[in-house]
Amino acid sequence: MRRVAIVGAGMTPFAEHFDLGIKELLPMAVSEMAESVDKGLDRADIDAAWFGELATTDGFPAGILADSCGLLDIPVTHVENACATGQDALRNAVFGVASGLMDVALVVGADKVRETSARSTFWDWMGMTRDMAWDYPLGLVAPANFALHVRRYLHEAPATREHMAMIAVKNHHHAMSNPKAHLHQEITVEQVLGAPMVVEPFGLYDCTPQSDGAAALLVVGEEVVDRFTHRPVWVRGIGLGLDRVMHQHKADMTTFPPTTKAAKAAYAMSGLGPRDLDVAEVHDCFTGVELISYEDLGLAERFRGHELVEAHDTTVGGRIPVNPSGGLKAKGHPPGATGVAQCVELFEQIRGEASNQVDGARVGLAHNIGGPTAVSAVTVLSADRS
Amino acid sequence: MITALGTYLPPWGGPGGTRRPGPDEDAITIAVAAGRRALDAPHPEVARVVLVTRDLPLLEGGNGAVLLAGLGLGRDVEVVEQVGGAPATLDAVSTASPGTLVIGADCTPATGAAAALVGGGGGGGGGGGTVTPAGRVTRSLPLRVRDLGGTVREDEDPRLQRERGLRASLSAAGLPGKPVSLAGVGHRDGAAFCEGDPPVLPTVGASAALFSLAALAERGAGGLVAAIEQATFSAVRWDPSGVALHRDEPAPREMPARRSSPGPEIKIAFTAYDRAFDAKLGWEAGRCGSCATLAFPARHRCLTCGSEGDAVMVPLPRTGSVYTTTTVHVPVPGLETPYTLAVVELDDVGVRALVTVTDSPPGSLEIGDRGRLLLRRVAIRAGVPDYGYAFSPGEVAR
Repeated sequence: MRRVAIVGAGMTPFAEHFDLGIKELLPMAVSEMAESVDKGLDRADIDAAWFGELATTDGFPAGILADSCGLLDIPVTHVENACATGQDALRNAVFGVASGLMDVALVVGADKVRETSARSTFWDWMGMTRDMAWDYPLGLVAPANFALHVRRYLHEAPATREHMAMIAVKNHHHAMSNPKAHLHQEITVEQVLGAPMVVEPFGLYDCTPQSDGAAALLVVGEEVVDRFTHRPVWVRGIGLGLDRVMHQHKADMTTFPPTTKAAKAAYAMSGLGPRDLDVAEVHDCFTGVELISYEDLGLAERFRGHELVEAHDTTVGGRIPVNPSGGLKAKGHPPGATGVAQCVELFEQIRGEASNQVDGARVGLAHNIGGPTAVSAVTVLSADRS
Repeated sequence: MITALGTYLPPWGGPGGTRRPGPDEDAITIAVAAGRRALDAPHPEVARVVLVTRDLPLLEGGNGAVLLAGLGLGRDVEVVEQVGGAPATLDAVSTASPGTLVIGADCTPATGAAAALVGGGGGGGGGGGTVTPAGRVTRSLPLRVRDLGGTVREDEDPRLQRERGLRASLSAAGLPGKPVSLAGVGHRDGAAFCEGDPPVLPTVGASAALFSLAALAERGAGGLVAAIEQATFSAVRWDPSGVALHRDEPAPREMPARRSSPGPEIKIAFTAYDRAFDAKLGWEAGRCGSCATLAFPARHRCLTCGSEGDAVMVPLPRTGSVYTTTTVHVPVPGLETPYTLAVVELDDVGVRALVTVTDSPPGSLEIGDRGRLLLRRVAIRAGVPDYGYAFSPGEVAR
């Protein structure tokens, strides 16, 4: 299997894009990606595209991407895998290029969360993740989905809501310099703890905003990398993990087994481990999820994730900065775009041109956990080919 | 012969000492609650259930199957859904054949349900109370009417009601004496027509007649028991000696404020409803025919041994402990918020269930709390009541 590199990356700002539809956001992200390709991109060189979109705004996603971006002469595949959608689109494109059947593949992720009314969004999204007879009518809204885990985690681990609040403060602070971030607002621990309760133990500031946006990557085979750049970012490892879908079937809810499975696969493929990471973009749809994920990804020992927060290890300038972009918490979370945008951030970090640069970053990890906490994707990127 | 009486009042207090239904209760769930209490006692095989109420959740459709499943009775049991008030319930009890469970259920204006199990002559070896018809009058005085759409029109005239409804019908019935209890009107209105110290009844509808029997059984003294609805009247002679009495009447608490928000209806998929119905309403898991591993909900393929398609349905325990919980405060269209959800570890079977939490203020549940699982209306989906089991916290033996 040949090696694969990312040679271009771009994204739209994440925001409530009431004035932009999916047909505007897609070409905007693709064009920004094309501009980032050092030696330029002739779109005729793209052999295939994978498009991650969770909702299907304006219908038939593959066709919408091809039609809106002028890519009618290549195969386009729609990927949907809950919050792992964006990274799974990348994963499939990497396989396509690595196989040697193609040299240049486009990866796009996008979602228009704020396209349906806020009222119908609850039930629309629950319909994608719940058993129609047993779970759907209970009102297990997305935050509750994760809150059941975090409540149990807080019961067993020494971590507290204050630690969660510190993660919110950190990620809001990180987003301040990111022009693409949805939220630009410094907050304090007191504000987080005093905010209205959304779903216990998550207050308003423990939760990601509902964002629209798109992101794009160009992945190419190692033989053609030089045609595009002399500063490629190598896809070193990529893993996907699953778990039981219904919460009553998850034996230990203080951890997300899909993450440990995806991370194990990505680390094994890359030959790298958690100690090799310089920067990580971790799924923080809710603050407590970032905390648990430290442990699932091997950044902290079990039930000691809060120590990273207390020591400011995961703040930019710390030992292993997490979510320098602001994360889902402050950068935003259009699910199909999220995993792709995490890789856009890592591409810029590893090339030394990120808006909130981690000094000397050479190895980065992207992580998503989602759906009914039953799927995770982990990607390891590096400045080094091997 | 009435072998057992069961009663149920929701824990939520209403105006004037009455009870209000919880947001997940309706006439069917409260009827099941009372019926299960009556069936606590040893009883003959129940062949027929008569539900008397004026608050049927559905005028067409599936009340009966939910009632039977909730009561744990077979689907070959006859169900009579009878629209009526207190006199109708008294009539249903006094004329019931052995093997009948009569349930009266009221949601408004005061909420409560009561059930009477009518046993066979000499069956089961136990005794029971006896009801004997003592008089009946059907007259019309429709001061309050409710049409099929549920619209109520009421001409409040208490004196007309008392004189031309109660007094005229009581007189026409020609009872041999004054009743010791009168169901169907407020306590003060009824007491004037009774002898002695009639019991205070928690409801004024179909269930009130059975609450009346229960109250007298508790005192150990029978007599003439009367029931009135507008101008329709019925009376029985009640000898409660030997009847078993099981009451589920927690002390009333103030109902926490909840808010509802407008929005789209909660969808229903009738195929999924149909496939899940028996297990969901009967609280049953699949047990692998090869290795006995339990799966809830049942699975086609056993997780332990891989055996396929040979699971049998077995009942699950109805007690357990909270493994984890959360409370939703943010408005959710179609549901009243806040509400609490829990993953409950059922006792002794290694099976968990994600359920809504009931009978308690939202947010008051802690990990480790004990409780029981009760039939409740989990949601209304596109107009269809969707029933399932909810966790009611409280001390229960392991």
